[in-house]
Amino acid sequence: MRVILCGSRDQEPQAEQMSTLAQEFYHFNLFLQVVNNLRILDSEAVEDVLEIFKSLLKRAIGPRTPTLDYISNKTEVLFILLKGYENHEVALKSGLLLRECIRYEPLAKIILKPPQFYDFFTYLEMPTHEIVSDVFSTFKDLLTRHKALCSCFLEENYQQFFSRYKGLMDSSNGFIKKQSVKLLGELLLNRHNFVMMTRYINNPENLKLVMNLLRDKDDEVQFEAFHVFKIFVANPNKAQAIFDVLEKDKNKLLDLINQFHTHRTEDEQFNDEKNYLIAQIQEL
Amino acid sequence: MVDVNMLDKVQKINPEQCLPVGVTSNTIISGSQPCPLFLEPDEFRCQFDFFYEEEGDGLFIHRVNSEDIIYSPRPRKAKLIGKYLMGECLGEGSYGKVKEVLDSETLCRRAVKILKQKRLKRIPNGEQNVQREIEILRRLRHPNVIQLVDVIHNEEKQKMYLVMEYCVGGLQEMLDTAPDKKFPEWQAHGYMCQLLDGLEYLHGQGTIHKDIKPSNLLLTTGGVLKISDFGVAERLDYFAKDDTCRTSQGSPAFQPPEIANGVESFSGYKVDVWSSGVTLFNITTGKFPFKGDNIYRLFENIGKGVFTVPRNVPSPLANLIQGMLQMDPNERFGVQEVKRHPWIKRKPPMVGREVPLPPLPDSSDELRSMTVIPYLDAMYNPMESDEDDERSEAGEEEQSEVNNYGNLSSFPVIDENEPLDVNQPNVQSSHLEVERPVFGLGDDLDRNRKSSRLRRLSPASCKQQ
Repeated sequence: MRVILCGSRDQEPQAEQMSTLAQEFYHFNLFLQVVNNLRILDSEAVEDVLEIFKSLLKRAIGPRTPTLDYISNKTEVLFILLKGYENHEVALKSGLLLRECIRYEPLAKIILKPPQFYDFFTYLEMPTHEIVSDVFSTFKDLLTRHKALCSCFLEENYQQFFSRYKGLMDSSNGFIKKQSVKLLGELLLNRHNFVMMTRYINNPENLKLVMNLLRDKDDEVQFEAFHVFKIFVANPNKAQAIFDVLEKDKNKLLDLINQFHTHRTEDEQFNDEKNYLIAQIQEL
Repeated sequence: MVDVNMLDKVQKINPEQCLPVGVTSNTIISGSQPCPLFLEPDEFRCQFDFFYEEEGDGLFIHRVNSEDIIYSPRPRKAKLIGKYLMGECLGEGSYGKVKEVLDSETLCRRAVKILKQKRLKRIPNGEQNVQREIEILRRLRHPNVIQLVDVIHNEEKQKMYLVMEYCVGGLQEMLDTAPDKKFPEWQAHGYMCQLLDGLEYLHGQGTIHKDIKPSNLLLTTGGVLKISDFGVAERLDYFAKDDTCRTSQGSPAFQPPEIANGVESFSGYKVDVWSSGVTLFNITTGKFPFKGDNIYRLFENIGKGVFTVPRNVPSPLANLIQGMLQMDPNERFGVQEVKRHPWIKRKPPMVGREVPLPPLPDSSDELRSMTVIPYLDAMYNPMESDEDDERSEAGEEEQSEVNNYGNLSSFPVIDENEPLDVNQPNVQSSHLEVERPVFGLGDDLDRNRKSSRLRRLSPASCKQQ
């Protein structure tokens, strides 16, 4: 099989052979065979597979994208790749191919759906750092690449998504904790997710969570949390509950922010924001 | 035969000086007589049998075959602004010149927009617009959005330098030289896709450009489109519920009906979609959907929203243009809809010859290679004759800015036989990372800014809304 794959690489530019090859791929569902056998492929062969996947996925005849259509109908390819994360032997290889697939909206749509999407949360708890960071980059790609798709997903699955997401921000894995707080900030600050954002920042539970993160023992987590916290405070239409939480701890918060990361003197914007927050909280 | 181009060049001759500056020692004029260096104008006239016409202001026209004239390259003086070595002028806007520069630390090719405070004050909202542009640009980072690399203030000279990513040229220049003032469909398609990616990002950041048009779409050496000129852009308040805007200062021909009709508030995103639609119409047909002898007529026509797509436009494209130029903003496509449109999704076959970037005016270099090289050379081999320098630089405003030869030691030695490969602008300068937006995204946590001899981004200029 590897011979077919490697051989096909040289002939890629020829349209005719390309289309024959693609037909063969569809006909025998070679995608499935490849992803099922990732384990026996060495890293060089996986590189080849990736190249072949790339060119096949890109394939377009007029408005039609045959490979995307094909995989959309035979979704097990994607699911096998996703499940690949469970097996440390193929996890990174699967991740590579999966990320290539989700660059295309129709394929991302298949993964970005309950319940399969929630598998990510399970994978993010795995012990191997390399795999977890690979999972996270796929996870982040899914949530940020296709704006309209993501904002739909987040709106529809708000409850369940954030109840799982909370777990990430409380993860014992420092990397995941920091990255997930950072990603949260990004998601909230993208205007495509406006509805989700308004909902999120009006829930006092979320505010409490973020306030706790401001006092996290990790400096960088604190800093990322600051950039989420500022959204709560700057919101001109705070819900009463948010108002209450902020007011109750007003003095404590002021102390905290006054002392917050005083070493970042170089960062003008950060300091501007800090002063802005202090002024806002004082006015409460 | 009067060489019209000459007019331009001849005008540059300083009439006060007795020296026909255009005719320096290196200039060869038809005929093989030894050419005297300096002549009184009269002598000059008889010796060379020129056709001339003298006007009140001393303007005269020579009749010379253009190929017989070789102009001596202007003697150059290397000049550093901060760490940037100045090159030739790339263009001129209402605010000032744009010049090519070379970052002497990273060897990145950059462009710098030179803003003179004096000039800014004369333009309505000039200073405000520039401040806002800086504010907005600092927070953006996307492959299809021009990146602001550095801002340098020189209070003494009352100048401001905006150092940006280098772009070789813009769509407008290309259109100007194209046979029918338009691109083949496939070329337009490539630009359109990139424009949409950039717009999607900008809108995601709550930024409305408000002045999308071919002259604001630039290209890098790698052919990547960059949305530029955020002079009239607007940043939505982060908590604004929707994209309602109230002001617009964009270019008239690209304004949507709601603005032409003077509606008080309107959807900002849809303004960008409309002007992208006019842009698409323009780059694929070479025409404009709406015309008018003056701005009132133009706005009257836009306000009616009636236009026709030329018959030879293929139907998917015509359909897309119709969708983007819907008079009612609510019925007009959104960026997402445009992105999903069949014309965008489908890649047109590469039929028709690619419209290339023309050489810069005053130059014949089709490749637009780096103009900093002669200055680099001048840096290493300073002119022997000071007199020469003075004469040619007399008219140069930028003269004697910072002639910092002392910095030479920090410069990497360059082998003349091995020209720098600076045509790849992909090397990122790291010293001004995108600031984390107050209410926007920033990818980089690294926000250590290096200090410079000149003051960068004064705190006053970084205040948030």
